[in-house]
Amino acid sequence: MRIAIAGKGGTGKTTIAGTLSRELARRGRQVLAVDADTNPNLAVTLGVSGPRAQDILGLPRNLMTRQTQSDGSTKVVFTADPEEVLREYGVTGPDGVRLVIMGKVGHGGAG
Amino acid sequence: MCSAHATVRGLLGEIVARTGNGRDIIVDMEAGLEHLSRGTGKHVSRIIAVVEPYFRSLETGRRVKELAQELGVGNVVGLANKVRDEDDRRAIQQFCAAHGLPLVGEIPYDSTLAEAERAGLPPIDSSPAGPAVAAIRDLADTLVAEKGLH
Ligand SMILES: Nc1ncnc2c1ncn2[C@@H]1O[C@H](COP(=O)(O)OP(=O)(O)OP(=O)(O)O)[C@@H](O)[C@H]1O
Ligand SMILES: [Mg+2]
Repeated sequence: MRIAIAGKGGTGKTTIAGTLSRELARRGRQVLAVDADTNPNLAVTLGVSGPRAQDILGLPRNLMTRQTQSDGSTKVVFTADPEEVLREYGVTGPDGVRLVIMGKVGHGGAG
Repeated sequence: MCSAHATVRGLLGEIVARTGNGRDIIVDMEAGLEHLSRGTGKHVSRIIAVVEPYFRSLETGRRVKELAQELGVGNVVGLANKVRDEDDRRAIQQFCAAHGLPLVGEIPYDSTLAEAERAGLPPIDSSPAGPAVAAIRDLADTLVAEKGLH
């Protein structure tokens, strides 16, 4: 399953996303938790804390490349190997949940 | 279009393209609606809109559904949270029924979560027997059992 947890501020999105991720992992499923909040705090709810939490890098901005299409228009596409990105930028927490965080929104950059 | 959101969208798109349904992906979204127009929800098969029993939160849930449909993610459900009593339950159920937002579950208000918060611990470790974690456990069972939800 691929689920996004949305809603108004403070409704409990992170509490639910983190706990649901752990519960699914405990059922033997491979789980990727994605913190897509520009003010990330899913790590705590997942139990990735202490020094390891400091080690989590937001996804870098150079994974996307602008490519010219056959009709001359340009398109920004994801060019990195996703598994490598998960290995490099993700951390594994309790119950084996893999976490990646989007990180801060870049300033002024287009794309 | 902001590059951070584009990167997440690109990564999820690639993962889905290469590994299909082999892995569960749970995305913790930013509050509100803005991210939806950036397409961060594009590669998910379902959006869960968490709603509390008060109008502005319910209204946001309704808007999530509306916007998601405009973006082509038709599968949007509500999830009631912090439900304290029958009045809360009724308020959420009535609103969601009136606006065609099916509810996938209900999580009660759980005062033990505040302790977890103070201690900086995950709810699943600090209050595993609490009603909120129990309800999320039920939700996991419900989602796993659902056919057609990949
Ligand atoms: N069922 C519940 N019972 C009691 N408190 C809860 C419940 N669910 C969440 N909370 C509390 O509500 C607060 C907000 O929760 P959380 O951080 O998960 O919300 P959020 O939607 O991710 O917030 P934000 O919009 O800031 O990202 C926290 O203090 C959390 O402990
Ligand atoms: Mg949050």
